[in-house]
Amino acid sequence: MSGSSGLPTVVGMIEARDLTKRYGDRTAVDGLTFTVRPGRVTGFLGPNGAGKSTTLRLVLGLDAPTSGTATVGGRRYAELAAPLGTVGSLLDAKGVHGGRTARQHLTGLAAGNRIPRHRVEDVLDLTGLTEVAGRRVKGFSLGMSQRLGMAAALLGDPEVLILDEPVNGLDTEGIRWIRTLLKSLAAQGRTVFLSSHLMSEMELTADHLIVIGCGRLLADTTMRDFIETNSRAHTLVRSPEPEKLRDLLEAKGASVRLDARGGWRVDGLDANAIGDLARDQGLTLHELTPAHSSLEEVYTALSRDSAEYRTRQEALR
Amino acid sequence: MTALADARAGFPQALAHEWIKFRSVRSLVLTTVATAAVPVLGAVFVAATGSLQPDDTVLGGSLSLSVVAQILAAVVGALVITGEYGSGTIRSTFAATPRRATVLAAKAALLAGLTYALALVSCALAYLVGDALLEEGRYAQGKLLPALFGIAASFAVAALLGLAVGTLVRHSAGAVTAVIGVLLLPSLLGPLFGDAQRWVAGISPTAALQKLTQTSDATAETVGSLGPWPSLLLVAGYTAALLLLAAGALRGRDA
Repeated sequence: MSGSSGLPTVVGMIEARDLTKRYGDRTAVDGLTFTVRPGRVTGFLGPNGAGKSTTLRLVLGLDAPTSGTATVGGRRYAELAAPLGTVGSLLDAKGVHGGRTARQHLTGLAAGNRIPRHRVEDVLDLTGLTEVAGRRVKGFSLGMSQRLGMAAALLGDPEVLILDEPVNGLDTEGIRWIRTLLKSLAAQGRTVFLSSHLMSEMELTADHLIVIGCGRLLADTTMRDFIETNSRAHTLVRSPEPEKLRDLLEAKGASVRLDARGGWRVDGLDANAIGDLARDQGLTLHELTPAHSSLEEVYTALSRDSAEYRTRQEALR
Repeated sequence: MTALADARAGFPQALAHEWIKFRSVRSLVLTTVATAAVPVLGAVFVAATGSLQPDDTVLGGSLSLSVVAQILAAVVGALVITGEYGSGTIRSTFAATPRRATVLAAKAALLAGLTYALALVSCALAYLVGDALLEEGRYAQGKLLPALFGIAASFAVAALLGLAVGTLVRHSAGAVTAVIGVLLLPSLLGPLFGDAQRWVAGISPTAALQKLTQTSDATAETVGSLGPWPSLLLVAGYTAALLLLAAGALRGRDA
């Protein structure tokens, strides 16, 4: 079997081809094409409202695309007879009837997909919910609900995991737990595709990134490439004579801004040039730090650019 | 690939999933229990108050409150699906069974089987209670069989009607209001239509039920001259049509 891209379709590969979803006038997903591969954690990143959840719903066959296709292992989700054994998903942690217990929720899903009963106890144990398994879900905190959502996703021991904001509501210990779990699942050769609007979390968890803004693909690259390509180098400088230093740097054509932590943030001259310049002019420096903008800043800039682009395009119509 | 990935699942698995979901929601279980209890309590009540009209039958009198029970069955039918939309469970249901027609069929089979069996037992019991408590020889007996099977079937049909309306409306309050309206309004508004009353009132599932219980309330002037069985068939017919409509809506809609 081969995908439309010409590359062979691997078991567990998620593919979106020209995926588009419109709700009335609003285009939530706009011609998205991407591939999510097994064996690594792929982060799906975008600001709130970028179309992440819609895309995941399209992949899971919950919403029908306006055009384009979304497949898992070369097949549409709806074609899977017992999907939970192939694809585990967590969309809305609170999407469980409050009157049910955690165990009842999982037992029902297991029965629906011929998953052996012992898996229910296995995933309850894995997610640390065994003790509260007999309690009604109504009383669960968001963190416990997220764990139940993870338990449901893992129930069928699937090759592919699709998770929408799984760390939302988890405490520090929970976040660390999920990060370790996702990395180990990917290391076993499974496909892990998780969305988040939190760049900092992604930076620690994901190996690969798919970034969208306003429903369009902004980047599909490794985490390292994404940072290196998109972040701009700058230098932090501090001096007891800040005004003099600024005039000097600006005279050399550098752009100088006040940094949030104090001192100057300099673009256009590297640390070596700034150091040499200061020595030549007899200026004391207290700090000279080369820096990259954080992933957070890169991502904010990228999504802002895309929003501005979109606004311009719409103004031109 | 893991072994679980090769598992096949179809209607029996969807039915098992529905059954577990059904019995783990207290409101559904309680409403269902009420559906079964109301006819029996009604028989006791009517016998105790001696409120039965002289021209009524033992069967009709014993099943005086069966109309209320039938409405409760329809409410259960609606809640089985609207509860899932309300809580968001519908998405995990569709994630487990992407073929939505299978989900609806499983819900329909569960509801029809459960309400039929419960109504059969409950209405038979109500009749026995009424027969034992009502004054001997004062009322015509009424013919229990085969009417009882039709009575039970009218409960199943009402539950399915509730399911169809619930699937189309999706919101619990709206669906319950709509389904009670469908069951009650025809007989409430019927008199406003003058000569057409028998047509208006006669289309409700409650009319079919009343005819089957052979109560003196079900006169040709109020609920039409259509016999009890054709009346049941009529209600079953439009319920089936509504269910097909609901299945179509379910397939085309974003969850």
